[in-house]
Amino acid sequence: MKRKQLASFLLSLLLAASLVSCGGNGRAGETTAAKSGSESQSGESSKPGEESGKSDAAEQNASSNEKDYAALLEKARGSELSFYGWGGDERLNNWLDGYFSDRLKEKYDIRLKRVGMDIETILSQLSGEVGSGKKDGSIDMIWINGENFKTAKEGKLLYGPFAEELPNFKSYIDSDDRETSYDFGFPIEGYEAPYGKAQLILYNDSAVTPETPKNTEELLAFAKKYKGKVSYPALPDFTGSAFVRNIIYDICGYEQFQNMPEDKETVRKAVEPAMEYLRSLNPYLWNEGKSFPDKEPTMKNMFADGELVMGMSYGAFSVATNIEDGSFPESTRSFQFEKGTIGNTNYIAIAENSQHKEAAEVAINEMMSPEVQAERYKTLRTIPVVDYQKLNAEEKQLFDSVDVGKGVLSQEELLSKRLPEMPAGLVPIIEEIWAEEVPGK
Amino acid sequence: MRKAFLILLSLLILLPLFSLFFWVFTERWPWPNILPKDFSERALKSTIARAGELGNVFFTSILLSLLASFFSVLIAVLSGRALAFYDFPGKRLISSLMLLPFLVPSTVFSMGAQILFLKTALYSSIPGVLLCHILYSLPYANILLNEGTRALGEGLEEQARVLGAGPVRAFFSVSLPNLFPLLLSAFTMAYVISISQYFMTLLIGGGRVKTFSVVMVPYLQSGERNFAALYALIFLLVTTLVFFIFEGIARACTGGRRAELFSDY
Repeated sequence: MKRKQLASFLLSLLLAASLVSCGGNGRAGETTAAKSGSESQSGESSKPGEESGKSDAAEQNASSNEKDYAALLEKARGSELSFYGWGGDERLNNWLDGYFSDRLKEKYDIRLKRVGMDIETILSQLSGEVGSGKKDGSIDMIWINGENFKTAKEGKLLYGPFAEELPNFKSYIDSDDRETSYDFGFPIEGYEAPYGKAQLILYNDSAVTPETPKNTEELLAFAKKYKGKVSYPALPDFTGSAFVRNIIYDICGYEQFQNMPEDKETVRKAVEPAMEYLRSLNPYLWNEGKSFPDKEPTMKNMFADGELVMGMSYGAFSVATNIEDGSFPESTRSFQFEKGTIGNTNYIAIAENSQHKEAAEVAINEMMSPEVQAERYKTLRTIPVVDYQKLNAEEKQLFDSVDVGKGVLSQEELLSKRLPEMPAGLVPIIEEIWAEEVPGK
Repeated sequence: MRKAFLILLSLLILLPLFSLFFWVFTERWPWPNILPKDFSERALKSTIARAGELGNVFFTSILLSLLASFFSVLIAVLSGRALAFYDFPGKRLISSLMLLPFLVPSTVFSMGAQILFLKTALYSSIPGVLLCHILYSLPYANILLNEGTRALGEGLEEQARVLGAGPVRAFFSVSLPNLFPLLLSAFTMAYVISISQYFMTLLIGGGRVKTFSVVMVPYLQSGERNFAALYALIFLLVTTLVFFIFEGIARACTGGRRAELFSDY
């Protein structure tokens, strides 16, 4: 008797398995396009009367673009769009799964599926798919920038150019901004569209440490005073790497790097004074600079637990959200070096073998709209990518009404001291040099 | 004496688990506070808001791992018999090949398998992930059952045949019940291996096959300690629950005799 029970249990498992494998594919047919909304949208997305003094040819061009976009919207309808990117930011995850996903569903009948993954894994998966000639890739949109963008674009893993054709890009993105055409000094050429802006800030707790070091010299004095309680994430961590580049800028200036050849010895010579400084800092750091926190989240937790008295972040307003979450004490405040801190933009690209390129373009266009950017600014405190000067009064109001919270620097102050990124190719070289010359020396 | 040692050992395991419980409700826990001072229900609220999604994730995870362990045990029982009772060319080669997944790190395997799977329909599908899980839980089941089958020997089965039982009946009435405790250990082991696969599931599943590990690990990596603690607790609870159910089923199948998990056969 018992044998039969076991056998029937196993049999039911087998049955369940076959059901699951069928269920995975059965979803594609579910959607029925809700066509009623489409007319109103195509009117909404183009901004009338923006630049009046255009030639006939340009106007014709513009109207054909509008048509193109309307066709895009039609094709995008009913797609399931995957968005791959780092999934460790709970606020961002909730925002994407909630607000943004709902918005895409309602306005365009696009279902957004967010997949949280490290960029290295994403690119390894993508290159695997593209390399094996897979046409219906599983990756549609990718959150990307810097060296990774360079790798992906050079490896022909990305679709494009597409960004400059999007209506919101034309209407709201500042084409004079260097970050619109260069990502870490690498030409974008329409292969990715701006998503959010980041800028390095330093932070400490005013109740514990009254000083805010304005330059590397003061930082050294600060580290001496709070011996063993200052550190930065070990490179190649994204934030640690940016911090070291910022130290290099403070000591060696930033101009000389913008056109520097990607040659290790040239770079080594140029950054030597900064490496010398970092070595002189070592004896006063946490664990005497023999080891460093492995990544930014570790450092952040060490600061939260009082093991460190200073930290740094690429999220310009992250101190405010951390105070609101209760991770940081209320008296935490952000500060910057006098000469400024590095800022960069992060972008969204489309995979070369994406099946839903149209839906991806529509979603990216939506991401660049003032309402969405203002919503991001409000809930995530990301510096917006839209150009404030290009907004109308109503749209400006959306941004003006946002309370960025406690312990942050104002957006004007941040942007006035914003330094350009190192060229993408130099970043890994500097990371190697740091690993050879700083820890434990 | 032995009892005192056991109590100490279980305390050593259980006490750190209590800190997990506290971490669910706080964002920071500075030294020298014995208990955290600031409490926050952020992790709890956010996770409750995602309860439905998490339910699906658990369903996929558990089903996937149950299937992976079922097939591992099935293969291991059959191959165990073949290796113990039969002689055939290449026997030693096959028996050592079976342990190969122990030697090749799953990350290395996954990256190769990904490229291979991309050319087939297996990529980013549950059957594809299942296949890989089986491959990696199989050696554990194999080791246990190979040894067990060899130790049990053919004698009892032969006796049953002498007494008139057919080969099928001899296997099901004599060998299988005697192997049962090992079967259960092998099943549990395979289940644990399968449910904790992260990188492999992520890569072969293309991010679309969402198991619990795939959802949890990003929180660990991003230092969201309260989320990580909460997920770890849920993981523990669910896994313990699943084990209890295993044991219940096993009890029912064997009529209560010799069905403890990890019995020292």
